Amino acid sequence: MIGYILRRLFALVATLLMAALVIFLVLEVLPGDPAAVTLGLNASPEALAALHAEMGLDKPAPLRFLLWLGGMATGDLGESYTYRVPVAQLIGERMAVTLPLAVLAILLAVAIGMPLGVVAASRHGKAVDAGVMAFAQAGLAIPNFWFGLLLVLVFAVGLGWLPANGFPGWQAGLGVALKSLAMPALALALPQAAIIARVTRSAMLDTLQEDFVRTARAKGLSESTTMRRHALRNALIPVVTILGLQFSVLIAGAIIIENVFALPGLGRLVFQAIAQHDLIVVKDLVMLFAGLAILINFAVELLYGLIDPRLRQA
Amino acid sequence: MSAIDDTAPGRRHGWLSPSLLIGAGLSVLIVLAALVSYAWTPYPPTQMAILQRLQGPSAAHWFGTDQFGRDVFSMIMVGARNSLAVGLGAVGIGMVLGTALGLVAALRRDGLLDNLIMRTADFTHAFPAVLTAIMMTAIAGPGMLNAVVAIGVLNLPYFARLARGAALQVWAQDFIQAARANGLSNRQITIAHVLPNIAGILVVQATIQFALAVLAEAGLSYLGLGTQPPNPSWGRMLNEAQTFMATQPWLAIFPGAAIALAVLGLNLLGDGLRDAIDPRLRRSR
Amino acid sequence: MTTRRDLLAGAGLAALAAQLPMAALAQAKDSVTISMTLEPPTLDPTSGAAQAIREVTLQNIFEGLVKMDRTGKIQPCLAQSWEIAPDNVTHTFKLRTGVTFHDGTPFTAEQVKFSFERAVAADSTNAQKQLFTPIAEIAAPDPATVVIKLKQPTANFIYGLSWGDAVIVAPQSAANNKTNPVGTGPFKFVRWNRGDRLEFARNDAYWGEKPALAKATFRFLSDPQAQVAALQAGDVDANTNLSAPEAVAQLKSDPKLKVTIGKTEGETVLGTNNAKAPFDKLKVRQAIAHALDRKTIALGVYGFDVTLIGSHFSPLHPAYVDLTGTYPYDPAKAKALLAEAGFPNGFSCTLKLPPPSYARRAGEIVAAMLGQVGITVSIEPLEFPQWLERVFRNKDYDLSIIAHTEPLDIDIYARDQYYFQYRNPEFKTLIAKISGTLDETARNELYKQAQQMLARDAVNGFLFILPKITVAKANLDGMWTDWPLPVTPLAELRWR
Repeated sequence: MIGYILRRLFALVATLLMAALVIFLVLEVLPGDPAAVTLGLNASPEALAALHAEMGLDKPAPLRFLLWLGGMATGDLGESYTYRVPVAQLIGERMAVTLPLAVLAILLAVAIGMPLGVVAASRHGKAVDAGVMAFAQAGLAIPNFWFGLLLVLVFAVGLGWLPANGFPGWQAGLGVALKSLAMPALALALPQAAIIARVTRSAMLDTLQEDFVRTARAKGLSESTTMRRHALRNALIPVVTILGLQFSVLIAGAIIIENVFALPGLGRLVFQAIAQHDLIVVKDLVMLFAGLAILINFAVELLYGLIDPRLRQA
Repeated sequence: MSAIDDTAPGRRHGWLSPSLLIGAGLSVLIVLAALVSYAWTPYPPTQMAILQRLQGPSAAHWFGTDQFGRDVFSMIMVGARNSLAVGLGAVGIGMVLGTALGLVAALRRDGLLDNLIMRTADFTHAFPAVLTAIMMTAIAGPGMLNAVVAIGVLNLPYFARLARGAALQVWAQDFIQAARANGLSNRQITIAHVLPNIAGILVVQATIQFALAVLAEAGLSYLGLGTQPPNPSWGRMLNEAQTFMATQPWLAIFPGAAIALAVLGLNLLGDGLRDAIDPRLRRSR
Repeated sequence: MTTRRDLLAGAGLAALAAQLPMAALAQAKDSVTISMTLEPPTLDPTSGAAQAIREVTLQNIFEGLVKMDRTGKIQPCLAQSWEIAPDNVTHTFKLRTGVTFHDGTPFTAEQVKFSFERAVAADSTNAQKQLFTPIAEIAAPDPATVVIKLKQPTANFIYGLSWGDAVIVAPQSAANNKTNPVGTGPFKFVRWNRGDRLEFARNDAYWGEKPALAKATFRFLSDPQAQVAALQAGDVDANTNLSAPEAVAQLKSDPKLKVTIGKTEGETVLGTNNAKAPFDKLKVRQAIAHALDRKTIALGVYGFDVTLIGSHFSPLHPAYVDLTGTYPYDPAKAKALLAEAGFPNGFSCTLKLPPPSYARRAGEIVAAMLGQVGITVSIEPLEFPQWLERVFRNKDYDLSIIAHTEPLDIDIYARDQYYFQYRNPEFKTLIAKISGTLDETARNELYKQAQQMLARDAVNGFLFILPKITVAKANLDGMWTDWPLPVTPLAELRWR
């Protein structure tokens, strides 16, 4: 048991280091000079050299890689080339937008997707089922950024209920802030809701055929009690798993959606940082995203391993 | 997503399911638009007429004109070519290379090579796909070809994993033993027996990945990293339309609808094909 | 007999009375909210070239020895007066006295010396270091006098001192100016909510005329539609330069708003690699010039008429000459010139575009127009860092489009390493002569010659001047219409 966990932990650390190396190397190849971006068209070579030294870019690459790793290990993420403030501070500020957005999107996706899946499964083969499946197909086919634009057309341009984009900050009041997150969260939630509806439906159909459900039915439990007590509970496991696995999809979605709605979140930060060659911010953020995905995978594997001893052999 | 059971409701129609019919219909429509655009479009798709800029839909311009006075309908027709080309290219790269790697991994099951290939596939998964594609296009420069490569590379692990899994199932079957007894080499068996047996499932996956590739290209182009002007691209049309949303909303509606219909068609086609080719796959996890 | 209580009551009344006029004043609006497209990366104009830094800080937080007014003229600021000795290199500045920085530090000649020495130092990261390189030595004989000796006569030295890169900073606060700027200007830094807004308050200890407004907020709205919506809703009082030209007609029809289209120093050019075949041939460049219908390009980019140019010079400068007729739009002539140059069937080339939407839009139209005369152009968009690296530094390009926003920057054509690679000795001589000519009339005459030379040689495709689209509430006075320098002096704003 302990051997298994140690093996997995070793793999985890190796994967994280590998990820860091890949990210660092990829950004080394990226053409462009952050100092040139800061100093503009009239920059003199001496000023550029001075700024290189200030940004630590004059050191050799292997040393910079080690310094970056060491910094991350001690919680120092470096200083942004563009904004000249600690990256940790930038990430903190932007996290206050992205995290609520992602949580809101997941809640919406579950709130829309699960009931639809349950209804579809309980009316298997009926018109309702067909309707839910059609919704799921549409949800997967409609690009979320286009859905976002359509929402803006209806609720901002047409009805004027919600702000078209931007984020006033939490200090503007909870209601105002939530209002500007409503459309982006919904746009982000749509494909997730479609997936959850499908997963819930098929998981419930599967469990409905299993022996213990048949037994429950045979015991004379009503259809709705059977659904609630057995089928739904069993369907929760794949839904939670999918939510975990969809994390990186959600992040990817956030990159585009935050750009559609001009939200000052992590997705927009990483996109702008790439555009401005603020490589230290890019490095830290990509590492953060990848690291989180790797950790989630690790947790899922570990859990399955604990539940199912057979998997430990692999 | 392919792992999810998508049993369409009320399926007792044999292989010609409504999914397959609608999916094939939509797909044919997109392909037709692309093919016809080579011979005919209402206007030359890149022809500018600045004085006729930003006109609403009319008999002369069915979907209106954009900020340079170009005909939106013509641009959408030509945009279909672009989406299909990106889809074909990206899925081609992913399927050919991914399948090859998957087959090799299956041959060397649990060996060093297998582990290396599969760990790398897992590893690529850790990075959000859009982020990877953005970084790749940032290095190689934006453009259709680079978008194809980026999306293709992201497709690779899906095919590698699928091919490995399916191939292992085939290798476990009796007729392989028979083939081996006949003195066929591993390579010969792979080509003569394994590949034909997993072709169906690969084609199904390809259709679904095709839809995802179209969606991904639209996203990259929306961010300005995909297909470049003057070649029309649905995603970039949406990007440009956003500026004119308050006054010229139709510019944001038609290209998005084109993307949605294309993806819907390909998804339905994939589902339909899966059921038609191998009904057993329906319940497989 | 007056009791203690009466006294207290009286004092209370007096206090109340004293507050009354304040309350009445408070009714008149004394704050302003101004939106702009790009957020400044830092708040220190000596730390980087970003225009947004200057837009918010220059003439508000920070001041230089001189300042530029809205007509482009140089006015005294921290220097009351200055004179240039007959040797043409010794500049003596008489400084204003009784000026303090926002943290209470008195302003003296020492800070001027510090600021300029910091700008020329070996480890200086000043984006316009060349403004200061003519300086031979700086002396501060007394707290109110600075003597700057130049290496050679430099005509535009004083002019350059009005830029954001030449503001006066204090030794003890200079290092923190990026996030907590301390200057001598009429406004003080209060708060910066990154990604959203920046707040300033009136500097009540200001040496000059007190600003009418007590509070000013800059809001960063990157999305053009959001800018328009905020203006229409009255959430912001003005916008420095609207990035949604398509909304101009709509905003103009709103009686609550006034819209002006002004000029800037941003010469937008089709940058051409003069050292690379076939663009090294004059006839090819002339053909390109004849193939460009500037009016239509500008219309396609903006939807309204903007100022067209025929050389690299802004109409805001008195030496400007209109050279738009040098190579008029004439596709037939363009084709003929191409044939003469040895390209009867045209040729293919790339057009590398930086991110701003004017460049991307103009690029598409230019590509189509060049296509009309047989030049097949493939567009390659680049992010700004890549543009800087590949086009600007490595000169790995054929054509590119960008606006050169530095004021009075015609001298870039005299730099061998500049990405146009023009390399005309005659032009270099001319620019050197301009720099040494201190007499304004004579200098302007030389500037005219320089403009004509560039136009004749069709060095670049000269397109248009970036417009400044200013939108403000109808009762807000004082916004600059033109941008001889990209600044938004808040002290000049008042409500009517």
